Amino acid sequence: MNINNFFPLTSLTAAEYFNLLPLFTISFGALISLLCGTHKTKGHGLAFSCSFLFLLAALVQTSYALFMTDITLLGGTLVYSPFTKTVSMMIILFTLLGVVLTYGQDLKEGLLSEIYALMLFASAGMILMVSTNHLLFMFIALEIMSLAIYVMVAMRRGSRFSSEAGLKYFILGGLASALFLYGSSLIFGALGSFELSTLHTVLKESTTPSIIFYIGLGFVVAAMLFKVGAFPFHGWLPDVYQGAATNVTGFMGAAVKFTAFIAFAKVVQYLVFIEAILPLRWFQNFIWFSAAASMIYGNFVAISQNEIKRMLSFSTIAHTGYLLLGLYAMNLSEQSSQALVLYLFFYAIANMGAFAVISLFEEKNQKDLHLEQISGLGIKHPLLGTLLTIFLLSMAGIPLTSGFIGKYGLFSTAVMAGEIPLVILAVLTSVVSVFYYLRVIVYLFMKQGTSEMAKYQRLKGASAAAFISALATIQFGLFPKAIIQFIKMIAK
Amino acid sequence: MLTSSNLLTWIIFLPLLFALAIFLTPTAFEKKFRTVALVQTLFGALLAIIMYFNFDGTSAQPQLAHFVPWLPDWGINYFVAIDGISLPLVMLTAFISPLAILGTWPAEGIELKKEKFFVMMLMFLQTGMYGTFLAFDLFLFYFFWEVVLIPMFFLIGIWGGKERIYATVKFFLYTMVGSLLMLVSIFYMIKTSSDFFGQPSASLVTLSHLGFSFDGSSWQTVLSSPQTWLFLSFALAFVIKVPMVPFHTWLPDAHVQAPTVGSVFLAAVLLKLGTYGLMRIAIPFFPQAANYFSEFFILMGVIGIIYGAFCALAQTDFKKLVAYSSVSHMGYIMVGLFSFHKVALAGSLYQMINHGISAGGLFMIVGFLYERLHTRNLEEFGGLSKTVPVMAIAFMIMTLSSVALPGSNGFVGEFPILLGAFQVHPMYVLFAGTGVILGAVYALKAYQMVMLGPSKRSDLDHLHDLNTKEVIAMIVLAIFVFGIGFFPKAFFWKSDATLNQYSYSLEQKVGANEH
Repeated sequence: MNINNFFPLTSLTAAEYFNLLPLFTISFGALISLLCGTHKTKGHGLAFSCSFLFLLAALVQTSYALFMTDITLLGGTLVYSPFTKTVSMMIILFTLLGVVLTYGQDLKEGLLSEIYALMLFASAGMILMVSTNHLLFMFIALEIMSLAIYVMVAMRRGSRFSSEAGLKYFILGGLASALFLYGSSLIFGALGSFELSTLHTVLKESTTPSIIFYIGLGFVVAAMLFKVGAFPFHGWLPDVYQGAATNVTGFMGAAVKFTAFIAFAKVVQYLVFIEAILPLRWFQNFIWFSAAASMIYGNFVAISQNEIKRMLSFSTIAHTGYLLLGLYAMNLSEQSSQALVLYLFFYAIANMGAFAVISLFEEKNQKDLHLEQISGLGIKHPLLGTLLTIFLLSMAGIPLTSGFIGKYGLFSTAVMAGEIPLVILAVLTSVVSVFYYLRVIVYLFMKQGTSEMAKYQRLKGASAAAFISALATIQFGLFPKAIIQFIKMIAK
Repeated sequence: MLTSSNLLTWIIFLPLLFALAIFLTPTAFEKKFRTVALVQTLFGALLAIIMYFNFDGTSAQPQLAHFVPWLPDWGINYFVAIDGISLPLVMLTAFISPLAILGTWPAEGIELKKEKFFVMMLMFLQTGMYGTFLAFDLFLFYFFWEVVLIPMFFLIGIWGGKERIYATVKFFLYTMVGSLLMLVSIFYMIKTSSDFFGQPSASLVTLSHLGFSFDGSSWQTVLSSPQTWLFLSFALAFVIKVPMVPFHTWLPDAHVQAPTVGSVFLAAVLLKLGTYGLMRIAIPFFPQAANYFSEFFILMGVIGIIYGAFCALAQTDFKKLVAYSSVSHMGYIMVGLFSFHKVALAGSLYQMINHGISAGGLFMIVGFLYERLHTRNLEEFGGLSKTVPVMAIAFMIMTLSSVALPGSNGFVGEFPILLGAFQVHPMYVLFAGTGVILGAVYALKAYQMVMLGPSKRSDLDHLHDLNTKEVIAMIVLAIFVFGIGFFPKAFFWKSDATLNQYSYSLEQKVGANEH
């Protein structure tokens, strides 16, 4: 008896089925959670537990499928390798954290119960995006993810800034998506394929693609740089981060950035890093420039911010710069991709934690936490102050935290690849970053409290998310061996 | 449990265990926390003594090593060991810690400020210091080097004086600039080891087999040699910490603003991290580059000696005076290290210990006075010796140690440095020697303004002399001052083998030089 008879979709083999299952689970969970959310009184709680359980199930399924044989579906459109599955696992983890972070926050901010479903939809889009090698599929995945995020950003209905942020993000994000789509079509026109690996082979054989290819590639790269928030396509980022509800900001800063970067790395690896084609050097140089400019711009502008979310959003731009440095080094050394994933993972956790702590001190519809409002906060709430300190130190790359390990890995592989000038720029600008991260710590612990001090909001979800993130940050900061070896193993 | 193979690990992490215990103890017991800290530091000293007796002084090899794979894929391991260079520094840390806690015990009735966090930071700091001295893996060294910053940042920033935030941020950023550039060099060294041996390694023992190319035939070739840049980036990180003129400006701020116990640790141990780094890494790993630039560093050392002394002379703030005297005294170590002379190198190591004792003692004296009279202005003291004779004696001993009177420990450090360096660079030493005179001038001036002369205050009735704890701290320090002064061999003989080996291999590497 054929085992395939047991499965509803008989055209799929067992392995294919298991690899796709998490995606089904998440999408199905999103629908169920939408339904649950309509309950009059317990809607939020039901939607939360529903989405949480389905994500957990998806996580288990992904880890179960992790070391199954590599699968390609739809003629190579979807690729399930240990790498994509691990990345999907990380995305599910971030979504889990995001869902936990939202619990409690949703009622405080008056967010609709649909936010849980939206998060699940977004994560389904993300998983699709990292698993595909097809430009059109990538576009669709990008849209699934982005549409959900647009709504989430604008969902804080009592706040003008939130609507502004949502609209801004929607218009600019739509433009970026359009650029991506148009660029893909030009690439298709020039080389006759949407498949990244096919394109790669074609490019390697015919060393002179037409000018249309370069225009198309330019559009695609610009759209991706927009999504990761790199200079000079960063303009939307601070406003959106600041305007969105803090839990959404945390989720965006972690999961969206992670996904967009992985997809960008894929595009760049297949289409830009081809030694034989000389004009592609321009694109490589542009990435170099964008990395340098993001580090300088992000770090120096963050210095003058007095509002924490806004400051963190500029620091996000700086971190994008470091990541682009890692990406640029990927051109030169294979190991950089591992370091990149590691850095992204650690950064996402710290970022999520930092926004979780911030959300614990924000009142309803408050735009941002001013530094004055947190002065003396660490003395009044030592535990939460310590947690925020841990996250900031991790972002600054100080030892004991995972951020240091991530930064060490990223920069050391870049040095191994021979890209020393950019690394020196990166470390010098990260001294600047230490200044503004320390400033927050100074306000937390070394200044006197004022009457404006932010009040502690009792939120179970955000506290739990902050604790989990802090534990992970310290754990990976002291004992990173396991995760490094794991990532090394899956990268093979 | 405690064995000779994990002894060093116990030394490093015992303070952290205590910190964890303190963390889990409710704040209601905060009156007892200092006692716990004292017990912890005494345990630390006990472990250090065990280590001292287990150390084989006839061998120049790293001993009592403890090796645990940490990040084997990146060539990084938890590798701690001890040799004759780190031995005295670890002993210094182990002895200064209990004394610093005894000597800065809060007086009865003084309101404690976040005592739990304070004590935890003190313990955390010790872990960082021990770790830096004992690390034999470059990554581990950097790890602990940075970890030291965090507790110091909080110690100055929370319990410091009026300008504490400015001072602590300056301290942190200054150190960060240097150390991050050092980090880039560490990457480069590990990469080189990976190219050379086929697998990356950050172990100092492995890396010491590497040679980095250096061509000193003209300044162009020097600038294009990798060794030059490696040396300069390491040296920058270390000389900021020493601090060497012109990178010393963070020091007076940090010292003046820090709480007394912070100042004691800063002067006695943290500054030595810089000179230790030079001696452990910057000079032996990049000998030709170090030799090429040695005159510059000696010059800066001499400038530091004289400039620091003049600055100290001009201060009315007692604490600032001692801080600038540190700049001056650390200048001797720079001169000694970069003279590459056997005697001077040994002298530099002795001077590290001796300065730790004398500066630590002087900062404690400043603390005693400030706690009792709430001022550090030298012009507001005067004639105190009648009221507080015991403190006057203690102060005199520390002053004599600081001015390097023969028979005190200061002499044991400074004399060999000047003697050794004189054989190589007589002109520089001529100027450096004036620092000894200037040192005597400002130190005795401070003593005179505080203890002698007419009394300027009317509120001296309730000025009480040193209490038992403070007396114990001072007596122990005094024992070291005169003990090292009269019997240096007894204290330092275990370093001889390492130092001989060190200067021998340095001479080999620098090659057929004029010395």
